[in-house]
Amino acid sequence: MMAVDVGGTFTDVVSVSGGVIRTAKVSTRAGDVDAGVIEGAAELGLAGVSVFNHASTHGLNAIITRALPKVGFLTTLGHRDMLDAGRCWRPAAALTDPSWRRSFGDAARPLVRRYLRRGIRERVKSDGSVFTPLDEAHARAELRVLAQCGVQGVAICLLNAYINGAHERRLRELVCEELGAIPCSLSSEISPLAKEYARASTTVVDAFMKIIYGDYARRLDAGLRAEGFSGQLNFADCTANLIPADDAMEAPFRVVFAGPAAGTMGSAHFGRLIDEPNLLCADVGGTSCDISVVIAGQPFVNTTFELEHDLVVNALSNDISSIGAGGGSLVAISPSGDITVGPGSAGAVPGPACYGRGGTKPTMTDICLLAGLLDPDGFAGGKMKLDPALARRAFEALDTPLSFEHRVRYAWDIGLNNIAEGIFNIAIKHGIDLRDYSLMAFGAAGPLLLPALADLIHVKCVIVPPHPGLFSALGLLSADQAYSMSRSAYTILSPAAAPGIARIYADMEARLRRRLGERADIGIVRSFDGQLMGQTWETPFVPVPAGELTGASIETMIANFHAAYAARNGNRFEAIPVQGVTYRLSAVLRTEKVTYAALPERSGSPLEPIGTSVLRFLGDTEETARIYSRDDLRAGDVIAGPAIIREGLSTTYMTRNQTGRVVRHGAIVIRRTRQGVPA
Amino acid sequence: MSNFVFPRPAGEFPVQARETVAGTCAECGAAALARHPVLSEGGWHLVVKCQACLATREREPWRRLGHVTLMTDVLLR
Repeated sequence: MMAVDVGGTFTDVVSVSGGVIRTAKVSTRAGDVDAGVIEGAAELGLAGVSVFNHASTHGLNAIITRALPKVGFLTTLGHRDMLDAGRCWRPAAALTDPSWRRSFGDAARPLVRRYLRRGIRERVKSDGSVFTPLDEAHARAELRVLAQCGVQGVAICLLNAYINGAHERRLRELVCEELGAIPCSLSSEISPLAKEYARASTTVVDAFMKIIYGDYARRLDAGLRAEGFSGQLNFADCTANLIPADDAMEAPFRVVFAGPAAGTMGSAHFGRLIDEPNLLCADVGGTSCDISVVIAGQPFVNTTFELEHDLVVNALSNDISSIGAGGGSLVAISPSGDITVGPGSAGAVPGPACYGRGGTKPTMTDICLLAGLLDPDGFAGGKMKLDPALARRAFEALDTPLSFEHRVRYAWDIGLNNIAEGIFNIAIKHGIDLRDYSLMAFGAAGPLLLPALADLIHVKCVIVPPHPGLFSALGLLSADQAYSMSRSAYTILSPAAAPGIARIYADMEARLRRRLGERADIGIVRSFDGQLMGQTWETPFVPVPAGELTGASIETMIANFHAAYAARNGNRFEAIPVQGVTYRLSAVLRTEKVTYAALPERSGSPLEPIGTSVLRFLGDTEETARIYSRDDLRAGDVIAGPAIIREGLSTTYMTRNQTGRVVRHGAIVIRRTRQGVPA
Repeated sequence: MSNFVFPRPAGEFPVQARETVAGTCAECGAAALARHPVLSEGGWHLVVKCQACLATREREPWRRLGHVTLMTDVLLR
């Protein structure tokens, strides 16, 4: 099996065959992403590969950079500005700022410019009955304008279409007649949920993804097969579960943010192997640090996510917070004279100053090189040489009276503190005690930077998994195929509501089974999102009992809601009626996953370092760290810090106060050394 | 209540005059460009807009209160 994780800077490819993990890392080619994927896959060899699992952020990047095709948007007459208004929420920092504008609004950078948003004379009421019939002549006139403007796709979201989608389906037929067979996304099909702005936003993103990924998926499939691939191509969704390519392209909004989720999935899978069910997962790359949580072995999943503030997509997604802190984070001097680190990044081009590609600004990578943590001749598996003189020159060029040593030392401390702050924010948000959680450190720069945080955030331990530089891609080989369906129908939960809710589930289950075919091994799980009467936000994923839905089942659903509400919010209000909002089905097909071979224990000669490095600027004094090769480690080895552990695509740094123990499946578990006693 | 106090006007509705602008719309190709004021986020603007597809070709800030000319607008000109 093979997996690829396309990032903004690098494309990581991993293959697993006969228990052997092989990896490749190529630069992402903007504008020709599939060529890079095929190049990396061909390097490892596609013959005999049964599945190819793909995650990419290039759809997300297209939205963030607004490098988007021209798409038209149809909605009920009078409501075309819902895409400008959003949910009318301001971020906390903007509450008293009259100049703040939402990033996707008409005053900033809209996804769909106002002239391409057309209102259609029609209206469906909240009970699904038609108040104003669809005015087809009016619709055709609007569609002809869109045709003249050369739109490449159409997104359709009418009010209350999630109850009755008939007008949307008829509009699609009219789109086909007036504009031809262009991609057309209907909110009633791809996201039949209440709240029209989120549904509209999701539908627009889906229309964009149909255009961007439609061609991409075809080229990728053809290119892989030309290189000898004959298996199943899957795309990862925003929870890093796998969807067959054809199915994924029917509603590709689900795959827009898959890459970061794979690291969480990989962490949960590896955590089960080493009996670590509660994890903070930190993927530190070149530009960003993506932080997520695994609780009791399961990633924390949201029902929506935001591409930007208030730019909402109704897709199940792992809860990931991204902060601008990575190996390429730029060190600068603020107008008030402070040292700042990030959020800007040097990216792959020109990259950190030490890359010698023309970058002149210092970065965290330059700090690590100057500090003696990185091997200038062995970076990126030996494919790149780093120049310490360029890194020094970049720091010397900073406009500050601080000494050179202080510039580097303070930038290091601030860079680490930025990541620590992000981790604290996640812990507070989820109400978790960091002392009960282990920090999974991966990504190109994770093992280099994160162990040094242990003294700041007091996690139980820091775990550096095998192949940390490609752990996200391995996460794509740690997931199952998952299918989900959902529908909104506001219903006060009472025994009398049982037949109506049962019909909703029966309809969704029938459609799901048609997609899956006749398979006896499919377990379908039901849940619902509910709210107390008067609330407008839901408590998601409340369990629904299996079997026939009766009055007793509804009582169980109500009890489950109050228990879930209390677990999330710390209190319960059983006197207030419960309203079901969205009803969900999920089905999981177990798939083959990557296995991590057990490391043999050491026998014979003890572990020996392969060298030493003088560490500078990281503390008050210089110190000498022993350097080890990860290939030399065996289960049970204990390494005392300060130490550097080198491997092809990553470097692990342990401070003097830390001890690392190599566990059975090859992870390095790093703990603070108690006074005179190794952990 | 408001229908008694403020009955519906019986006279002609006010119409915004639009000045025809030469050229074709870059988005839809129609020769239907016109210049006229609009009130949108950020205040009054004078725009050149295609009357066929509503795409905006030019946009510049107009008077602060639009059709109402302030003394300061005259003095500061």
